[in-house]
Amino acid sequence: MTTIAQAEPLLARRRVASRRRFADLAATGVLWMAACSIVLLLVFFIAYLFYLGAGVVSWHFLTAPPSEITAGGGIGPQIFNSFYILFLTMLFTVPIAMGSGIYLQEYARPGVFTTAVQFCAESLATIPSIVMGLFGLIVFVTLLHWHFTALGGALTLTLLNLPALMRVTQEGLSSVPLIMREGSMALGATKWQTIRRVVLPSAIAPLTTGIVLVAGRIFGETAALIYTAGVSVSAGRSAYDWSPFHTAETLSVHLWYTHSEGLVPDAARIGNGSALVLLVMVLIFNILARVLGRLLSRRLTGK
Amino acid sequence: MIATPSSRAHFQENIARTVLFAASVLVVAAMAVIVIYLASEGLRLFLVDHISPLTFLGSPTFDPESRAPGALVFIVGTLSVTLFAIAVGGPFGVAVGIFLSQLAPKRLAALMKPSIEILVGIPSVVYGWLGLTLLAPFTRQHFGSQTGFGLLTAGIVLSIMILPTVISLSEDALHSVHVSLKEGSMALGATRWQTIFHVLLPAARSGLLVAIILGIARAIGEALAVQMVIGNSAVLPKGLLSPTSTLTTEIVTDMGSAQAGSVMQHSLFSMAFLLLLIAMLLIVAVRAALRRAA
Repeated sequence: MTTIAQAEPLLARRRVASRRRFADLAATGVLWMAACSIVLLLVFFIAYLFYLGAGVVSWHFLTAPPSEITAGGGIGPQIFNSFYILFLTMLFTVPIAMGSGIYLQEYARPGVFTTAVQFCAESLATIPSIVMGLFGLIVFVTLLHWHFTALGGALTLTLLNLPALMRVTQEGLSSVPLIMREGSMALGATKWQTIRRVVLPSAIAPLTTGIVLVAGRIFGETAALIYTAGVSVSAGRSAYDWSPFHTAETLSVHLWYTHSEGLVPDAARIGNGSALVLLVMVLIFNILARVLGRLLSRRLTGK
Repeated sequence: MIATPSSRAHFQENIARTVLFAASVLVVAAMAVIVIYLASEGLRLFLVDHISPLTFLGSPTFDPESRAPGALVFIVGTLSVTLFAIAVGGPFGVAVGIFLSQLAPKRLAALMKPSIEILVGIPSVVYGWLGLTLLAPFTRQHFGSQTGFGLLTAGIVLSIMILPTVISLSEDALHSVHVSLKEGSMALGATRWQTIFHVLLPAARSGLLVAIILGIARAIGEALAVQMVIGNSAVLPKGLLSPTSTLTTEIVTDMGSAQAGSVMQHSLFSMAFLLLLIAMLLIVAVRAALRRAA
């Protein structure tokens, strides 16, 4: 950068200044365009998926069982399986991830073990979904002889989503000011009493928001389920199958399977409808996360 | 008088501490088990079938039935789509990250944050479906591609899919630059863009590197969205429009029909193991970048 003391001809300096101003203006324009295009892209995606699927989705489509070879099948059992596997996954993920997140945030001191937990969590988060699916195939399907099961799928998804929920827990806890912990401990509470009665209740809003957002992502998980929970709904049994040891194709898997391997003549119709339902579920999870978070924080802070 | 916790509270404290510690041990154990099982299955190709690792990594012939499980095509495919995705999505994502951290008016930021979260939440099959019904016909009509399936279509889909990762991580990186650097630069008479380009971006470079690396990780690991639009033929890509396969798409396509114990199944497990090693290597790189920043 030139120093002001240098005697530059006035005109040249003005030219540089105007060029700088132009560059600044151009950059501002480019950044605005990039930002707006993100929102426009999303609006376009939503509009397009509604355009494709709006004519397909009906009560029959949402509740009827799928069809193997003829047209006119629905996605009822698949929607049920998606929620069922989500429920099983949360059952395992929430306690483990929150436990380990609380430990890392409140108890752990820097050291080999803490570094190991962090490294493992980061690695788990980076393992591709399909690779985790193959691990599930090796262990749950083959080694334990479960074959394709809802439980195997849920356990695979648990491994995949532990890190995300650990991060939610850690970030939620770190939003609670230290002074609240100190106040509680000064009153003679133990560390666990402080966490349970002071820290966790204060962090309930960000925790709820985070958990619901992670749940939304688990709902749409696909690659890890193809070779663990299977690509068919349990045939011959009731369409809404509560057994964790039966095969359980979810909605997102169904969308992929009908397109790439399915035999039905109306695969495009089913794809359009399933894609719309999946999108709407994502929107619902996002809205729910926000509404719950706002409600809880309002009730707790009294604002 | 000082209040002391009762013995019951002490007991609960110990229980809680142990349970929370056990949950953390479980995370380490899970990762260890995953590495062990994927390694034991993934190394069978070399130890049981006696295929040379060099053949696996370097041969473009993928014909496991005649003991030729060369994965070069898939490695090149993965590298090509990833490179494309990061070349397009990387700068785009960083630009939006800059916007969110420096320029965005509050109301627009309040609109963009949920938009980005929704983009993260959209399942990969839905991105694949968008690519299939929207982008593939488009490339067919406007770029002269025969099927519309290939590197270009897959690359564009991936570019969009890695955006949320790159945006939110680069925004965090720029936010963590101390405000005094920015104020100092502005006080010296620099324009906003000069401040961003010459001061903020260099100061945040480790964090931005992390954003790019994790964007790459997301691109390498994505399976279904790519599988639905890349064409899935085991040939080296000749250009942006030619169909090819990646490591993940090949696993998705052939795992269902692979016989237990066959060379085919072993080579697919080897690809999964390779992907696991790449993922762990990227995490080591991220940690190195963050350590340099600290």
